[in-house]
Amino acid sequence: MRNTFKIGGIHPSANKTASRRLELLPLPKKAYLPLSQHIGAPATPIVAKGDKVVRGQLIAENSSFVSAGLHAPISGTVSGIENVVLPWGKPSKAIVITASDDEHSADTEAREAYWRDMIPSVCDRTLSERLSGDDIRSAILRAGIVGLGGATFPSHVKLAVKPEQKAEVLIINGCECEPYLMCDDALMCTYPGRIAEGVELMLKAAGIPKAVIAMEDNKPEAAAAIGEALKGNTSVSLRILKTKYPQGGEKQLVEAVTGRRIPSGKLPLSVGAVVNNVATAFAVWQAVATSQPLIERVVTVTGDIPETQRKNYVVALGTPLAELPFTLPAEALAIAGGPMMGRSAVRLDAPVMKGTSGLTILSRPSKRKVEACMRCGACVDACPMGLEPYLLSTYGRLRMWSEAAGADVLDCLECGACSYSCPASRPLLDYIRVAKQRAK
Amino acid sequence: MNEKLIFSTTPHMHTARTVRGSMLHVLLALLPAVFCSLYFFGVPALMVLCVSVASCVAVEWFVTKYMLRRQATIGDCSAVLTGVLLALNLPSNLPLWMVAAGAIMAIGIAKMAFGGLGCNIFNPALVGRVFLLISFPVAMTSWPLPDAAFGSADGMTGATILSMVKLGNMEPASIPSSDMIWGSMGGSMGEVSAAALLLGFVYLLVVRIIKWHIPVAIVAGLALVDILAGYPVVFDIFSGGLLLGAIFMATDYATSPMTGRGMLLYGLFIGIITASIRRWGAYPEGMSFAILIMNGFTPLINRYMHPRRFSPKQRKEVMA
Repeated sequence: MRNTFKIGGIHPSANKTASRRLELLPLPKKAYLPLSQHIGAPATPIVAKGDKVVRGQLIAENSSFVSAGLHAPISGTVSGIENVVLPWGKPSKAIVITASDDEHSADTEAREAYWRDMIPSVCDRTLSERLSGDDIRSAILRAGIVGLGGATFPSHVKLAVKPEQKAEVLIINGCECEPYLMCDDALMCTYPGRIAEGVELMLKAAGIPKAVIAMEDNKPEAAAAIGEALKGNTSVSLRILKTKYPQGGEKQLVEAVTGRRIPSGKLPLSVGAVVNNVATAFAVWQAVATSQPLIERVVTVTGDIPETQRKNYVVALGTPLAELPFTLPAEALAIAGGPMMGRSAVRLDAPVMKGTSGLTILSRPSKRKVEACMRCGACVDACPMGLEPYLLSTYGRLRMWSEAAGADVLDCLECGACSYSCPASRPLLDYIRVAKQRAK
Repeated sequence: MNEKLIFSTTPHMHTARTVRGSMLHVLLALLPAVFCSLYFFGVPALMVLCVSVASCVAVEWFVTKYMLRRQATIGDCSAVLTGVLLALNLPSNLPLWMVAAGAIMAIGIAKMAFGGLGCNIFNPALVGRVFLLISFPVAMTSWPLPDAAFGSADGMTGATILSMVKLGNMEPASIPSSDMIWGSMGGSMGEVSAAALLLGFVYLLVVRIIKWHIPVAIVAGLALVDILAGYPVVFDIFSGGLLLGAIFMATDYATSPMTGRGMLLYGLFIGIITASIRRWGAYPEGMSFAILIMNGFTPLINRYMHPRRFSPKQRKEVMA
């Protein structure tokens, strides 16, 4: 019997139909790099308007411990540090880099060589033994790596585990429970060995004895690839979990893998676990073994677009979403991320950022009428935190903030299972989100 | 940007299930019982069914349109369901104006006066039935005996086996169990065939409209009292409105608890109260009263029976 988390959960249709082959998306001529692409303090620019930068050069450094630096994803000239609009419409300070044609073609050539020759050829299995934990952590810090699963928490902070915190297991999240998205799946199928090496580097960095790569049973190809790459590996193992949303939620994943429940308001470390994404492991390997900082990531382009356009691309950070190749249906819903937790994108001139796992295009969904709650309890059954969404959303609607706090609204992880499961199409999560903000 | 982009908040995907779909599933699950009642009680049963459904829908339409001045809600099919359930809880020879009166009580008072679907405290169909039972006790308790022939309105009438047993006119053991399972016995339209009701139960479980908790807890509660009182358990389960009530009435979303634990408690007490009324009460049948009594406790159960939290709070933190 395959494990999964115990409470609640839903089974939305997966719609994972994109091609698993990774393709390089052409570099943009102009890249927009918001200073705040991660959780924590925004990065501080160390370049000014008019400066020449080369691909991979640090252009903004982390301003405090919980922060992450930024690197130039293309060579060119800094054309300004200005406000750009993020996908969901919020303005944010960003460094804008413009490339000349020469710089663009030189970058393109170097990048193609990197993916074609360097990644497959680098062979140094002793890296994790030769380097010290501190070396690896500082390499991660210098590379500006953050959690690529979507939470964008700076990785050097997560891996700074003190011995007295007694971390027992590093869980590598390959669940990708979000429907439609396949960026982690594609990466696991293509670079399983590199991911495994990245995991070993992370183990060394955090001083944790063993790691578990966890994925759901709807990815047999990735499971086979990772399983093959882990043959003979004594510290990293593979765990297949029964598919259920939101398995990729940190608390749900730790329970599914270790059987331990993280107490309310605590981090996975409180039960001896550290959770990182597979794409983060790959980025760590890239940073340590190939010295390439985080300047590109895998992005799934999928949804209600022609099947041949549903693909996984390696995209330079800062590339405008509109440069991803897809035909936009008339009146579409564009989502930065997947359909459960991804935010609705209202501007396609906004850039791909460190946390952009995909662009899901949904053609106008049939209008569902919001009806009265018939108290069927579907939301209660769906909630993975064991909360009562019908009650919390009523508290939110009636502005009963302290009652909402008393009913544990702060435990809500905003996975959306309640709104998804509501037959009356009630916007439960919207009210709960408001209550959550006020209850803090 | 020229593209028209739609904005929406998370999640952007929704289940295919709707309110109307849920109601239609329950109606589908009731079909076997409806067919049985039509087969056993003939044209009069069809008349009762039609009048009940039509009046329920008409009352809801009238109330939303002319009294509440809201958008009509009859499209969600919940009024149709109440109509079918009310009909199945009535004897097939009940005068049709009484059926209509019961529908007005059920939808007008028990449902719409409380705010419509989901806001009612008591099960509308049962309020309609109990209103009729108290107002017209004779009409509500003389049952035509099923004879599987259409147009048998002039056929024999008599008491249900539960009341005969209660009056001491019959031994529970003397009733062939096949009659109870297939429905060749007196009773309300929908309570005669246990097999048809159980078929509906299985369907509702399979399509996940209801959970097993309430019906099972009701049977357990009833069995508990019966064992203590030395009464034949199986006879009690298959007689009267127990199965109809346990499967279709007590599981009504709005009037039953939200959590599995709450449902077990609620069902257990319905079973205990039903058996107690049957054994020691004035009425031969207690299912309707038991459900309505526990409907009243549902808000209280919801207040204290919370779902199992992922991470239970430490007591200290709750106090702080």
